[in-house]
Amino acid sequence: MREVSRDRIKAFITLLPSVVLIGVFVYGFIGNTVWISMTDWRGGAALSENPVKNFIGMQNYVELFSGFLDGRFRQDLVNAVYYSVLLLVGAVGIGMFIAILLDRKPRGEDFLRTVFLYPMSLSFIVTGTIWRWLLAPQGGVNLLPTYLGGKALDFQWLSSMKTVLLFDWQNLFPILLYLAAFVLILLGLGKLRRDPSRAFKHYLVPGVVLGAVVWLFGDLLPRALFMEEEHGFNLATLGIILATIWQYSGYTMALYLAGFNGISQDLMDAARLDGASDFDYYMHVAIPMLKPITISAVIILSHISLKMFDLIFAMTGPDNAATGHPALDMYLTTFRANDFAKGAAIAIVLFLVAGTFIIPYLVTSYRQRRNAR
Amino acid sequence: MARVELVNVSKRYGDVIIVPGADLEIKDNEFIVFVGPSGCGKSTILRMIAGLEPISGGEIHIGDRVVNNVSPKSRNVAMVFQNYALYPHMTVRDNMGFSLKMAKRSKSEIDEAVNRAAEVLELGQLLDRKPSELSGGQRQRVAMGRAIVRQPDVFLFDEPLSNLDAQLRTQMRRELKKLHMKLATTTIYVTHDQIEAMTLASRIVILKDGEIQQVGTPVEVFEKPANVFVAQFIGNPPMNILEGIFETSGGSPVVRAGGSVFPVPEGRVPDLAGGAPVLVGLRPDSIKMGENVERLPKEWWCRGEVVVSEILGGQSLLEIVVDDNELIAEVEGRIEAQPGETVPIGFEFDRMVLFDPETTKAIS
Ligand SMILES: Nc1ncnc2c1ncn2[C@@H]1O[C@H](COP(=O)(O)OP(=O)(O)OP(=O)(O)O)[C@@H](O)[C@H]1O
Ligand SMILES: [Mg+2]
Repeated sequence: MREVSRDRIKAFITLLPSVVLIGVFVYGFIGNTVWISMTDWRGGAALSENPVKNFIGMQNYVELFSGFLDGRFRQDLVNAVYYSVLLLVGAVGIGMFIAILLDRKPRGEDFLRTVFLYPMSLSFIVTGTIWRWLLAPQGGVNLLPTYLGGKALDFQWLSSMKTVLLFDWQNLFPILLYLAAFVLILLGLGKLRRDPSRAFKHYLVPGVVLGAVVWLFGDLLPRALFMEEEHGFNLATLGIILATIWQYSGYTMALYLAGFNGISQDLMDAARLDGASDFDYYMHVAIPMLKPITISAVIILSHISLKMFDLIFAMTGPDNAATGHPALDMYLTTFRANDFAKGAAIAIVLFLVAGTFIIPYLVTSYRQRRNAR
Repeated sequence: MARVELVNVSKRYGDVIIVPGADLEIKDNEFIVFVGPSGCGKSTILRMIAGLEPISGGEIHIGDRVVNNVSPKSRNVAMVFQNYALYPHMTVRDNMGFSLKMAKRSKSEIDEAVNRAAEVLELGQLLDRKPSELSGGQRQRVAMGRAIVRQPDVFLFDEPLSNLDAQLRTQMRRELKKLHMKLATTTIYVTHDQIEAMTLASRIVILKDGEIQQVGTPVEVFEKPANVFVAQFIGNPPMNILEGIFETSGGSPVVRAGGSVFPVPEGRVPDLAGGAPVLVGLRPDSIKMGENVERLPKEWWCRGEVVVSEILGGQSLLEIVVDDNELIAEVEGRIEAQPGETVPIGFEFDRMVLFDPETTKAIS
């Protein structure tokens, strides 16, 4: 008994410095940022030695989402969503595909693995500089077709002014609800085979009802903005997404390749004897088995896309509205516009969005670890 | 339902010859057991039959086909692996139905086949669990279920019971035997366990360094080993092997080994000239002690000095010296002999096996 408590004291003393440091420099500063985001610390107060900060509640947040002047933030948020989705699809898809090719044990597998992983080791600034050059309107990628005898492309990878998939920010609430309904129905369809009654009760029926209700009575929902304001997918962000996918596909490839290598030979043999083709093996055995890796990849990539800053800075600079991102907006608002309070609010919004990705992941992995014991 | 035939099947990895050339004919419905020391190529031969390992030479027949160039899935063989190789992300039901799903069978057909197999193996309650939620024995059952669902022509088992504890192994062994009687499917089974080999096999194949040493029923390989290797590999404790000289002088044929003179019974007399060197094989359980000695003919009696004696429940294991020859004896009953004591013993000489010391092959 005494041994145990002495161990505990030792453990406590050993951990104390890091607990204190993390408490102050991580959680303390997060708390401070939350506080600042609820004040009016801006303008003159930003420059004074002893600033007066008045508590103004959620006003900064309200302005960000429905204020007349903060359209840029809203477009940046939309950009961030598209960044995340396309980066996920691109990097996971391409990484998985290369991993499958390398898992076939081609000649020179080791060398190729290094080649594909190499972009990971570059800093975003380097990647950005390389790709800015590659994506120049009259060079690089646009000239590729000419090598095949075609005509050069004239797509403006980083400065296109085109926007597709437009929607009106006024209709934010119905759109979000439709999205929720869509996700519920999708989940329900996925679970239909395993447990039909649960799938209907918890997913399909609520999904369809929610969709129908929004469709019928969506007009009664409050408008998110007093005026029309259109946002959509800016084609100029394609170049940045391309560079990010290039940099991170090798990383997902490495994750999947390690996973594939960890699958025992017997399991592959069993699948072959069961009549699975190579495609079936990956489709029905290997990739589903690596679901934990897919989840990790999604979490890691989505938080990278939310923290995107230096790559955009290097490729288009912070001021190009078409390729904006909340992280850049936070920087501009805080240090260019000296609006510390609103900058802090943007930071907190990003923090919460990242939290919605990471907290469920942490909870499930913690639970899995506890169950495994 | 198929016969399997290996014709001069060989396997090389680069310059290393693993299987120099195996010939084996397996009849329909037979239960063939491969035994042999670790690394002798049992799994390799099994995998070649399954098509998981390309063969370097020869021919493999399954049914009426030569399957050398037939893909594993088209050979219609099912394999059960030592570590079960269940798909960890699938339920028991999906594991068992996977092969039929790959064969694009209808859902109702798959369900029916899975339920039937689950009934045979008493897996009904477990169908919706994942492999990680099963015990070792249950996983083993699922692996067998996955094999029988497909109704294959040939079952291949690679040490399927070796990860189970002794008690469960005995139970599963019985079930395997029943299953084989019920399904009557040609089965090839690899094991390290002598008891499994003896109890399950219709014929045992003993391998050493990739070469087949003997093929025979369990009794045949036990009583009439083809060579010294088989004699010592099959049976525990192994057969006693003594060096001796065959002699015919004085009328009845005998073998002199050490100071002993063993009479060679009729029917076991080798076609050798007098004075030829031989190896004499005597099974430990062909040595009798206590009252069992008196049931043997008088000329098979002699005396031996006990060196060590161990009592194993209903049997005793003794090390005895008979005229300078050290022998292991496995005898019925509890023999409570003190070391150093001289006791009467008897040999069942009609079970004696003689080997050629040059080739180590049995002399018939
Ligand atoms: N890929 C390979 N390359 C080279 N040699 C191999 C390879 N696979 C197996 N071997 C060799 O082939 C021989 C036979 O292996 P195999 O797995 O068939 O033995 P086994 O009889 O099943 O042994 P165990 O009882 O230990 O399972 C071994 O000596 C092994 O080292
Ligand atoms: Mg083996």
